[in-house]
Amino acid sequence: MSARAQAALSVTAQGHYAGSVSRFLAYAIDLTVSSAVFALALAAISYIAKIVAGHQISWNRSNIVVAIIFVAWEFLYFGYSWAASGRTLGMAVLGVRVVRADGELINPWRGYLRALVFPLSFLLLGLGFLGILVQRERRALHDLIAGTAVVYAWDARAARLRFLAREAEPTARQPSVTGDVPAAHGR
Amino acid sequence: MTDPLETMAQRVAERVIDLIMDVLDVNALVGRVDVNAVARRVDVNAVVQQIDLNALARSVDVNPLLQQIDLNALLDRVDIDEKVLRKIDVNALLDRVDVNRLLQRVDVAALLDRVDVNRLLQRVDVALLLDRVDINGLLQRIDMDALVEQTDLGAVIARSSGGAASEALDAARSQAVGLDQFIDRWVQRALRRKHPAPSAPRALLNGQAEP
Repeated sequence: MSARAQAALSVTAQGHYAGSVSRFLAYAIDLTVSSAVFALALAAISYIAKIVAGHQISWNRSNIVVAIIFVAWEFLYFGYSWAASGRTLGMAVLGVRVVRADGELINPWRGYLRALVFPLSFLLLGLGFLGILVQRERRALHDLIAGTAVVYAWDARAARLRFLAREAEPTARQPSVTGDVPAAHGR
Repeated sequence: MTDPLETMAQRVAERVIDLIMDVLDVNALVGRVDVNAVARRVDVNAVVQQIDLNALARSVDVNPLLQQIDLNALLDRVDIDEKVLRKIDVNALLDRVDVNRLLQRVDVAALLDRVDVNRLLQRVDVALLLDRVDINGLLQRIDMDALVEQTDLGAVIARSSGGAASEALDAARSQAVGLDQFIDRWVQRALRRKHPAPSAPRALLNGQAEP
């Protein structure tokens, strides 16, 4: 499929139910970012403890306390993001967002509820995510419980205009026959 | 050479006529003449045909005559509305007018030079004009894709919209959407669904909400 056809396809997909690849990539980004932030926070705490107490704290990931803190942090990361704007960092990058099942913006409590039931999709051997593939509205188990759906929300129209503009730009760059100096393009 | 007898006879006749004229009351005589009967017997058309009207017209100095005419007074006496205009069949008159030929003779440039555009625009109620314009309908008729591709607007957008990072993001998202739809097509085939699934939530399909 050509890039132009791909961009046209994206335009028509705006507002539609987001598919599995976009959602998985968004989640992968979120997991990477949240884990990195968590690791940095633990490292920072160890460093501060070493300065203050004089001995290093060793964080064992298998430690139940660390695991609980990690789960709480993940809940906060996803819950706050969905409650505040309907999207996490990864979702923003991939251009998808959480909406109510009918398409309206979600309330903050629904964002936190979604974050609360999100682990259920994992706990059922990942079968909760199967809904993204086979459910008619591409809703996972946690979506069905929280009454939410995930849709494409990136400004595909503007993206297409940028795409067309970039394609048209080489033509604009060509110097005219009258000898005009071409405009500088500071990218 | 004139006969002396004839000369004498002419003098006698002249003398007799003078005597008769002295005695005759011409006014009374004319009063007894039936002028109307005389006029009826005159073939006026024949008389007019014998008159060289062109020569007559050439000999008349019309200018002093026209100078004596008080045109304003004349026009005041003419009831243009009632008697003149009502008799004119304007449609028939316009049918005979070759408007194209008339317009060809109009010097539009000269006409426009005489128009004070600024004064004209000051009289235009722009707000009223804009109220009557369906701007949304107008915008919907604009082919933005063609506009961006064919004008410098494209270059402006390209330069003002984020650069390489934005370009990479657009590409990544587009690819992800493409893969989503590729997988979805195969899943639909595997499940052998007869009815297509809804593509978007109801509010977004109807345009009531924005994603």
